[in-house]
Amino acid sequence: MIVNFLTYLRERPTFLKWLFIAYLAFAVVFDFFADRHHAHFWGDHLVGFWAVFGLVGCLAMIVFCKGLSHVWLERDKDHYDK
Amino acid sequence: MTSSIFMHPATMFIIGALLLPLAKKFNVQKVWLVLVPLVAFIQIKYLPESFGSVEWLGFDLQFGRVDRLTMVFLHVFTLMALIGSLFGLHVKESGQHVAAWLYVAGSLGTTLAGDYLTVFIFWELMAFASVFLIWYRKRKRSIEAGFRYLLVHTFGGLVLLGGIFLRYQNVGDLTFELISVDHATLADYLIMIGFMLNAAVPPIHAWLPDAYPEATVSGAVFMCAFTTKTAVYVLARGFAGFETLAIMGAIMTLYGVAYAVIENDARRILAYHIVSQVGYMVCAVGIGTEMAINGASAHAYAHILYKALLFMGIGSVLEMTGRSKLSELGGLYKYMPYSMIFTVIGGIAISGFPLTSGFISKSMIIAAAGNNHQLVILSMLLLAAVGTFLSVGIKLPYFVFFGPKDSGLTPDEAPWNMQVAMGIAAFMCIFLGFYPDYLYDMLPYAVHYHPYTSYHLTETFHLLGFTGLGFFIMVKYLKPHDVSNLDLDWFYRRGAVWFMWVANKPVSATNEWVSNVYQNIGLRLTMALARALSWFDWEGIDWALDGSARGAVKGGEQVRQFQTGKLQHYIGAAVALLFIVLIVVVLV
Repeated sequence: MIVNFLTYLRERPTFLKWLFIAYLAFAVVFDFFADRHHAHFWGDHLVGFWAVFGLVGCLAMIVFCKGLSHVWLERDKDHYDK
Repeated sequence: MTSSIFMHPATMFIIGALLLPLAKKFNVQKVWLVLVPLVAFIQIKYLPESFGSVEWLGFDLQFGRVDRLTMVFLHVFTLMALIGSLFGLHVKESGQHVAAWLYVAGSLGTTLAGDYLTVFIFWELMAFASVFLIWYRKRKRSIEAGFRYLLVHTFGGLVLLGGIFLRYQNVGDLTFELISVDHATLADYLIMIGFMLNAAVPPIHAWLPDAYPEATVSGAVFMCAFTTKTAVYVLARGFAGFETLAIMGAIMTLYGVAYAVIENDARRILAYHIVSQVGYMVCAVGIGTEMAINGASAHAYAHILYKALLFMGIGSVLEMTGRSKLSELGGLYKYMPYSMIFTVIGGIAISGFPLTSGFISKSMIIAAAGNNHQLVILSMLLLAAVGTFLSVGIKLPYFVFFGPKDSGLTPDEAPWNMQVAMGIAAFMCIFLGFYPDYLYDMLPYAVHYHPYTSYHLTETFHLLGFTGLGFFIMVKYLKPHDVSNLDLDWFYRRGAVWFMWVANKPVSATNEWVSNVYQNIGLRLTMALARALSWFDWEGIDWALDGSARGAVKGGEQVRQFQTGKLQHYIGAAVALLFIVLIVVVLV
């Protein structure tokens, strides 16, 4: 049953995409109403600060780590056996 | 509430392990595997505050010291022993279970120890028992990785022992209590380094992602829980408030997660991610406030359960398909839906989704950093949280169970015992999310923290949502490749090759040359000298005395002639002698 349901969803990527966008929109709207009394620093007072932090952090991390792996760290899987 | 009848939990597991082969003989191995951890789990509530004080060679050893900090760790360790044993229930080899339980015993013994010598004894038991969980995989790679693991831990153990000796010389007391930052000496820092090695703090972390992916399926489930979290406990016990730890911990969180983003082997991703998660705890220990120590304990509790859950989910896939590389997996949700659901629950719990255990434990550490105005550390921890969701929350389940391509594998679902074990861990992950007070009431200090505030929720919604967006944008760059990445174990893995070269070539050649010289010159000289001495002894000294040595040699030669060495001659002589004696007795 679960399998059928998931397969059903996987066959409808556009629907999933819109669902995800709806969630993001909800998160942004929710941020306007959040109580900021316990803020730790200036970023906590900006609406959408953590959205930018999450997106930029995620992209930067992928680019940096994958890049470092490609130019330096990457070796054959039996590198030490040779 | 204490009762007068109790058993040290470590003793319970040691005796349990020793009797396991017997249980197997009577076909009750499976019952025994559940019974012992279950009794241990129930019994910890009845432990007295202090027990097992022994004086030995002038040292005061204390095998049992129970307070609130000990209790949280005991609770989760015994629970984990139960889950792990259930997960490995189908494994027939008693040896694996024995190794696992001795390892658990080492961890529990360390947690309960009240002095450094006891800590050291159980610390080493942990290292030596756990290496068998790697070797039992029985592949060449595992055996090699096991030896490296053992060597690194032996080194760490020696550093710890050196620190303990120095401390005894300085202070004359081995009680295991909190060390104040202002009075820490070299001895204390050596002890701390010994502990940090087990907590996998970079640059001495590489043993972990090297060894854990090579362990057996159920062995890895045990290993991911005990070594590093015991290290967190001893750090929290002895070194709370050391700022070095706060900085190192924050670096750890990012270091581990960076490798988790690029690795290909699912169990190696999880292993690197342990480094990241333990970083949160080490960082909290370094911050050292009441809230931070609470956070470290809570996170250790929650982390053991969801990381074990992830190792179990991926372990089931490895058990059923024989593969653990993301590049060789995909589309498994159709065949292993329950394992998929459990893995995803572990993934969302580790990422700190609301209503899971990660949400209520990780945030406590981040809030502690915020309350302490350590903004750099705060943002490092939050960036690591982004990486966590990216690597373990989305990437791992996506490429294993869904993925852009179908691997073509059609495995069966994991055996029932594995599913039950995963079910218990998954239940705990969600239960703690719904009812955080169950965990909060166990913590060492009173908790004044509420995770479900609207601000914490919105922060989490944003971080997770937009990290998901980042993954969605970059998914094709994240496609796994079948490669391995260099890490700091390079120094000793390459270093060992160089060492062997030096040993084989220059050292061996020099050795051979020296032995040739000795054979040609030295040996002849020695023989000549020996002959000269022997001549002198024979001719000179014996002559100077009374010739007794020469007499003894001559006498011995004559006696030798009587002794033919044939048994019948001796028996004949004995019988003849008996007759003579009889005749003498009768006649006289």
